[in-house]
Amino acid sequence: MNLSVCIKQVPDVSAPISIKEGTLSQDTDRMVLDAYSASAVEEALVLTEKHGGEVQVVLVGPEKAKETIRKALAMGAASGVHILIEDISGLDSSAFAEILAAWHKKASFDAILTGKQSQDTDAGLTGSMLAWNLELPFAANAVGLQFENDSFIVKRQGDSGQEMVELKSPCLITCSNDMNDPRIPSLKGIMQSKRKTVETVTPADLGIEASALNSDSKTERKGFKEVPGREPGKKFEGEADEMVSNLMNLLENEAKVL
Amino acid sequence: MSKILVHVATADGKIKRSSLEVLSYCRKLADDNGLGLEAAVLDIDPSRYTDALNTYGPDKIYNLKHPIFSNHLSSPVIDAFSLLVEKSSPRLVAFASTESTKEVMGALAARHNAAAIPDVASFTLNGNSVDAERPVMAAKVLSKTSSSSDLVFVSVRSGSYDTAEKPGTAEVEEVAFDFDEAGLKSVLKEVISSAGDKVDLSEAEVVVAAGRGIKDEEGRKLIEDLANSLGAAVGASRAVTESGLFPATLQIGQTGKVVSPQLYFAVGISGAIQHVAGMANSKVIVAINKDPDAPIFQYATYGLVGDLFKILPLLTEQIKQVKAG
Ligand SMILES: Cc1cc2nc3c(=O)[nH]c(=O)nc-3n(C[C@H](O)[C@H](O)[C@H](O)COP(=O)(O)OP(=O)(O)OC[C@H]3O[C@@H](n4cnc5c(N)ncnc54)[C@H](O)[C@@H]3O)c2cc1C
Repeated sequence: MNLSVCIKQVPDVSAPISIKEGTLSQDTDRMVLDAYSASAVEEALVLTEKHGGEVQVVLVGPEKAKETIRKALAMGAASGVHILIEDISGLDSSAFAEILAAWHKKASFDAILTGKQSQDTDAGLTGSMLAWNLELPFAANAVGLQFENDSFIVKRQGDSGQEMVELKSPCLITCSNDMNDPRIPSLKGIMQSKRKTVETVTPADLGIEASALNSDSKTERKGFKEVPGREPGKKFEGEADEMVSNLMNLLENEAKVL
Repeated sequence: MSKILVHVATADGKIKRSSLEVLSYCRKLADDNGLGLEAAVLDIDPSRYTDALNTYGPDKIYNLKHPIFSNHLSSPVIDAFSLLVEKSSPRLVAFASTESTKEVMGALAARHNAAAIPDVASFTLNGNSVDAERPVMAAKVLSKTSSSSDLVFVSVRSGSYDTAEKPGTAEVEEVAFDFDEAGLKSVLKEVISSAGDKVDLSEAEVVVAAGRGIKDEEGRKLIEDLANSLGAAVGASRAVTESGLFPATLQIGQTGKVVSPQLYFAVGISGAIQHVAGMANSKVIVAINKDPDAPIFQYATYGLVGDLFKILPLLTEQIKQVKAG
């Protein structure tokens, strides 16, 4: 079974952020493997360990993102594809889906796995757009995945309850981080990853002209702004019964929510 | 005249509050911009919502009746909206955001070569541009995102707009919708429901959310007692859905659901950004945590620093007394 996992490199969202003249600035330029992508890689590794085959990871991004491909290789992916685009700031989900579709049209795979969203933008569109571009059946927000009789059985988290959905291969599945705990690469994994191949391709190799890239984007980012802050609150310490009567009084008479 | 088309989400014979919020705001947006407002109901029996919808004043209602809409697969919804987009040629299609609207919007946008802007906190029309603000970086900042595509799909986070009635009488069109189940490339095998599915968390007015601090069954019982005394829905942090104390459907946050109740209790929850991403829009937030430095207190309207095992029984008792009147 050959699985292709689309992974993303994201800024560390837990680092402090400030906004300067509409652009984001962080204390660190640390970039990490997106947590949802990491779960997709983990799940693909588990499946191939059970059923045989290989995992290939595919990433669209700048030179610096190669370290994130290496991370996935160190986890156990067999090979990587780096679709090298130095400036991805103007690209939206539509553009990523176009680029990834161009690659996958030439590739062979039994399933494509992606994160259900990415930690930085939370958009969650690329997977379903890519599935549509490639005319693949798909299921989103998977929390479990099995392979039986040439079909993938996806346990997906629905808005209420969970659903078991069967998809015929080839198909596309977007993965939740509730699916598993991604493995931490071992020292051996890290050593081996250095010998694994990462194929670098350019948009031109995929028949995409540089000028077309930005026009594939259907949305434009116009800058950032602060989230409106909440009013400062009241904090109580001390005996439980006193705190509770204070709270009751405020809920009834100040907030009027009881 | 160009139009705004709104998806009307329904559950158990009721229109979801989040859809009424979107409909109310889109009525205003349509009026301000001289556009028509259309609503689409995809349901096993859509005509039962017509009276309720007329309270919010859409100019036209499309009813798509099919039993397939009661199962949760996204492909019938994608097909139905494709049909409607061709029929109505809207310039903007608006959904209330839930987890499944993302996959529906992505597929629709790809299919119609259109733009999709998911999970917006606000949006507006300026000439031929749709301008939206949406939380990014685990909801720490807002990104201003615009699109000048001819067709734009947006989904709106619950609680972003108030509902506002504007009674009218819509033209109703019954749209024939055939869905070839044999042509489905995905098959729904089974729905696994859990106790947590009874109350619609994302629609609840009061939420009592539990975190790792509740520790075990005893803590869970205290949470459920408080929720029952308030008639509230129970929510949870990732720590306790992961441990299995609460079902995954109840997770609130970046991976889980976004809620915007009138009153939110965060009990034994530290307030990690990924949790706050799903609840910071709540009107009144009560935090109960024994660590005075827990980040959750930065968001709390009222914070109680103390042991939840002492506080909850007292609180539940007092609430019962108030509710008994
Ligand atoms: C990509 C990603 C997505 C995520 N998505 C989500 C999400 O959707 N939702 C979510 O919740 N998390 C999410 N997380 C996880 C998140 O980062 C935190 O790990 C999680 O929210 C912690 O849960 P908690 O607050 O219950 O536990 P903890 O952080 O362990 O906090 C427990 C709190 O309980 C308090 N406490 C302990 N005992 C008592 C007592 N007796 N009385 C009072 N207080 C007590 C402690 O002081 C502490 O503050 C995500 C993480 C990642 C990386």
